[in-house]
Amino acid sequence: MTDEAWFKSADPHSGRRAWFWPLAVVVALGVAFVSLTLGAVNIPISDVIPVLFAKVGLGEASSQAEAVVWGIRMPRVLLGFLVGATLGLVGAVLQGLLRNDLADPQLLGIGPGAAIGAAIGAVAGGVRGAIAGGVVAGVITSFALRRLVRRFSIDPTRIILSGVALGAMLSAFVGFVVFGADRSVVPPIEFWLLGSLSGATWRALGTAVVILAIAAIGLLAGARNLDLLALGESEARHLGVDTDLVTTVTLIGCGAAVGATVGVAGVVAFVGLLVPFLMRPIVGPRHRHLLGASMIGGGVFVVLADLLARLVLSPVEIPVGLVTAVVGGPVFLWLLSRRSTYDA
Amino acid sequence: MPDPILMAESITYRVGDATLVDRIDLVGHRGEVIAIIGPNGAGKSTLLRVLAGDLLPDAGSLSVDGIDTRSAGPLELAQVRSVMRSGGASDIPFTALAVVEMGRHPHRTDVDASLSSDRSAIRSAMERTDTLHLAGRVFATLSGGEKTRVVMARVFAQAAPLVLLDEPTIALDVAHQERVLREMRQLAAHEACVIAVLHDLNAAAFHADRVVLMAEGTVRAEGSPVEVLRAELLSDVYNQAMTVVEHPTRGCPLVLITDADR
Repeated sequence: MTDEAWFKSADPHSGRRAWFWPLAVVVALGVAFVSLTLGAVNIPISDVIPVLFAKVGLGEASSQAEAVVWGIRMPRVLLGFLVGATLGLVGAVLQGLLRNDLADPQLLGIGPGAAIGAAIGAVAGGVRGAIAGGVVAGVITSFALRRLVRRFSIDPTRIILSGVALGAMLSAFVGFVVFGADRSVVPPIEFWLLGSLSGATWRALGTAVVILAIAAIGLLAGARNLDLLALGESEARHLGVDTDLVTTVTLIGCGAAVGATVGVAGVVAFVGLLVPFLMRPIVGPRHRHLLGASMIGGGVFVVLADLLARLVLSPVEIPVGLVTAVVGGPVFLWLLSRRSTYDA
Repeated sequence: MPDPILMAESITYRVGDATLVDRIDLVGHRGEVIAIIGPNGAGKSTLLRVLAGDLLPDAGSLSVDGIDTRSAGPLELAQVRSVMRSGGASDIPFTALAVVEMGRHPHRTDVDASLSSDRSAIRSAMERTDTLHLAGRVFATLSGGEKTRVVMARVFAQAAPLVLLDEPTIALDVAHQERVLREMRQLAAHEACVIAVLHDLNAAAFHADRVVLMAEGTVRAEGSPVEVLRAELLSDVYNQAMTVVEHPTRGCPLVLITDADR
């Protein structure tokens, strides 16, 4: 057997990855397409397709279909995918960094912390202000978490529990900001704490995509370091990883990325927890595969959850976080019960 | 004599008022296996961590393959020394092959150029530790002995001229202990200087070229196994009566525990 063939044969997930990626792309496109057609007003596929063609200069579409499909649903689908992809990615990164499958940006308090900054930012400068405020507050909360990691690094369970306490406290502070603010400028408390894509616009998408692309590239570049950290912090250092630097930079990237998602969509729970957990058995634990798979999986999950959020009580919309929590909560409990001990 | 790989001069490491490592000199050459022995609390593991660059010495100078460990970055250090410690993470979700592959990380600054040399280094490391058949198995599901051999293969793959082993045979049965110790010799035969903290005095007696006996942070004796493993010296340092005879087949010293009132 050649070297290359032998190396491939020793990877139990290489076969599954071969079908996962094409399938994931097809599913992502399919879910996006269905989301463009369904809603308070159903627009048949025969009307959606002309809108898409019209946008690349082919033919004409009805102005009503164009207003709904391109003006409202398209930015919403894209933003949903972007938010989900970011939360899936950050979840997988944090689980690698903290060496614990229970890590999740919202459970650890990064999301609620970012929401305070985003709500203040919204007062000052609309959606762009909210994104900027979310990024700043997300990074600050990450630094607070960094201190906790340093103090409790022997016991990941305590980091998670500290994060939960931190998150509860910060969520309460979001209330102090929001209830004192002008309701016509700052979205209501349920937007921030339960998450919603109802504010999606091309303008919000354009700002968020720049920040999220930079953060995602940075986090993806660290995939190998996360692999090495799984061997243990000392082992990673012995193999040449500057573990302090990697931890700090990674947490900054996670804080900024989560902060930007909170600025546009509030705190969408459980995506970061659930998606890497579902992807791991398919693509394997190596981060160069897991991070990308968690992005596409997270994107699909949030777009699908948002579709349900729009349809379940139509024409009334429910927050997308309620849908993700209904699915994510039981999985979290199951994970907790399955693992009674944690290794540092 | 060629230049030494390890040059430690007057290394001192303190925590608060306690001096855990007290002005220790140590020189190591390629091809050499050095065993560090001594009772609990003698400072063996602390010394190893200082040599590994995990702890910065409070005084003294330390260079590995000509690099001053005080100013070297983690990657630079990883190219000249590898470490195997007991009690590393055991629930690693990666395959054995992936774990061994990570040993090549310090050499992967240019991924494409080094890929084929990486592959041959990985395969030969697994061949030598007899872990090829474990390649596709998940590390967390391996037995204790298999895990130790896979980690040993990772250390082989790292191909550093200085190899530091902290009690590599802990929790292994006698056959696996022997196997790991022979692999340690192999590492030295491949142009490395191996320094191992060992609890088993008879392992040090047969497998080491040189033995360093530590007590209370200082070196009590240093030399060949025959020179260091002497009954009265060991009995004094360990505060336990011992006698030393010649090993019936190996010809090296054989340390036996005896009773004080014999």
